[in-house]
Amino acid sequence: MNKILTTAAVALALALPASAALAQTADKRIALSNNYAGNSWRQAMLKSWAKVGDKAVADGVIAAADAFTTAENQVTEQAAQIQNLILQGYDAIVVNAASPDALNGAVKEACDAGITVVSFDGIVTEPCAWRIAVDFKQMGKDEILYLAEKMPEGGQLLEIRGLAGVFVDDEISAGIHEGVAENPQFEVAGSVNGDWAQDVAQKAVAGILPSLPPISAVVTQGGDGFGAAQAFKAAGRPIPLIIMGNRYDELKWWKEQKDATGYETMSVSIAPGVSTLAMWVAQQILDGQDIPKDLTVPFLRIDQDNLEENLATTEVGGVANVEYTLEDAQEVVNAAR
Amino acid sequence: MTPTLRIAARLLEKPWLWAFAAAFFVWLATIVFTGGQGAAAVLTAALAFGTFSVIVGIGQMYVITLGPGNVDLSIPATMTFAGAASMKIMDTQDSMIFIGLLVALGVGVSVGIFNYALIRLLRIPPIIATLSSSFVFQSAAIAYGRGIKIKPPPVLAEFTTARIVGIPILAIFTVILAVIMAVVLHKTVYGRSVIAIGQNPRAAGFSGISVGFTRFATYVLSATLAGLCGFVLSGFSGGASLNMGAEFLLASIAVVVIGGTSVAGGFANIPGLWGAALFMFLLVTMLNTFGLGAGIRLIMTGLIIISVITLAGGKSTGR
Repeated sequence: MNKILTTAAVALALALPASAALAQTADKRIALSNNYAGNSWRQAMLKSWAKVGDKAVADGVIAAADAFTTAENQVTEQAAQIQNLILQGYDAIVVNAASPDALNGAVKEACDAGITVVSFDGIVTEPCAWRIAVDFKQMGKDEILYLAEKMPEGGQLLEIRGLAGVFVDDEISAGIHEGVAENPQFEVAGSVNGDWAQDVAQKAVAGILPSLPPISAVVTQGGDGFGAAQAFKAAGRPIPLIIMGNRYDELKWWKEQKDATGYETMSVSIAPGVSTLAMWVAQQILDGQDIPKDLTVPFLRIDQDNLEENLATTEVGGVANVEYTLEDAQEVVNAAR
Repeated sequence: MTPTLRIAARLLEKPWLWAFAAAFFVWLATIVFTGGQGAAAVLTAALAFGTFSVIVGIGQMYVITLGPGNVDLSIPATMTFAGAASMKIMDTQDSMIFIGLLVALGVGVSVGIFNYALIRLLRIPPIIATLSSSFVFQSAAIAYGRGIKIKPPPVLAEFTTARIVGIPILAIFTVILAVIMAVVLHKTVYGRSVIAIGQNPRAAGFSGISVGFTRFATYVLSATLAGLCGFVLSGFSGGASLNMGAEFLLASIAVVVIGGTSVAGGFANIPGLWGAALFMFLLVTMLNTFGLGAGIRLIMTGLIIISVITLAGGKSTGR
């Protein structure tokens, strides 16, 4: 009897912090302020948010998880949107921002109104907000490190960059060039802007390809690998090792090549489900947890041996994805402590 | 004046000459830089990608020729919606290609009718009407496809990427389309009505031209060509994506203007569209080949386009 009581007491003690945590945020409302929805990554991001958010609401963890997207990807529009969310009395606003600094005014207003602001992917620099950032530079560098291992003899590289003038593009490219500087057996023979879109990448690569020497590998930023493959095929050139970016069409193409010729590469990007990580971080802050202001998003990397399972779980036309649970989010937070 | 000189002199008066000349010099600069390597392959690529700008450029040119204020900003959204809808309906089956094409064209016709209804019935200026309808149709494409990229049927993919002795088949068809549209523009009542309305809509109306119907037909034409372009581009690039039309908003207007068509309306020419489309592609290729940074590339693109338009425009003002 005594033993049973003790067990029950221990079980209760163990369960208590968790249920207390749930109770404290059960009446809290979280809003997502999103600046853009016009590509498959953002669509997947919104879907993950809706899925995990609805479940959290149904489970009584939070009272609401509403997503709002601006139509025009304009800073002014998103600033106005954030002001509306303040007036609507949300307890936390999760932001994927159109600009790192231009929204700071609106974010400060939200903080001053006692609202928790968590920015992710497109982060804001306002100190009162939390930032869940991506180490894009490391992502670029990882590509070269993989190549250095794969082809120690080195070779000529074609670099496909993103949208000119966007900070993400500068960071990934800086990482790639840093990697090349440390591995001088590689040389960037050409560089084009693919705007993270397969058709733009295909066009740009098709243009520069005739003037290039034989290419050993293509370093990319995601959303451009399949387009690059199409361009090489159309030009009748041998297809080099193309780093992929977790898009369904890229993974599917890779799988086809792998089955046909044993083609080897790797794929790396950010899971769109990072929006759910931001949601849990906001929930934890509302719960009174002490969360570091700067967190880093882990990459989602796909290699030769786990290609099939990742392809199977990736929605047709979507992006390889990971949705976070509360426990996953706590792990990311603990890693940053 | 000898006959050759006379021909040369007449040729120099053509507003489209400058676009071709610019394309040629940019191509020359590229192959000089590479030491002759890839000279033909670059041209093949330019023809392949120029095709899409020309298809939408023809529609945009007809609209712009209607006179000041006329422009079709719904082209990117129409392309995206037509591409997404047709790819989804064909669902990679070869037997459905014809139906897919009809769907793409149907989307185009519907957008055109919707655009003109906004312009005519609600009296919204074309620039606002087509911009707002582009939001409607872009959202429709997002809701319909949810970002899903469905592959084209194999035969369509094969056809849109096939080439004969280095010339893309699609480019050959588009040249034929351009010739037909040039004949329509200069030799038919409809085409001449478009030009007449662009020069003076009141005078055109008094001379018995049905201004309303001509404008209606032109907006439908532009949207239909955008639908067609969305269809073939989806086949060419391995499926429809939500942002596939984005670059064609500016490209469709740029090829019209650089090609020597008057932005103020009333004067149009089709050959210039091809010259300008090749020029735009080769220009980016040249700057990429030179290995310049993105900032310098954009500045150079701007400056070179300004110079070409200035040269071409200087010739056509005398008319």
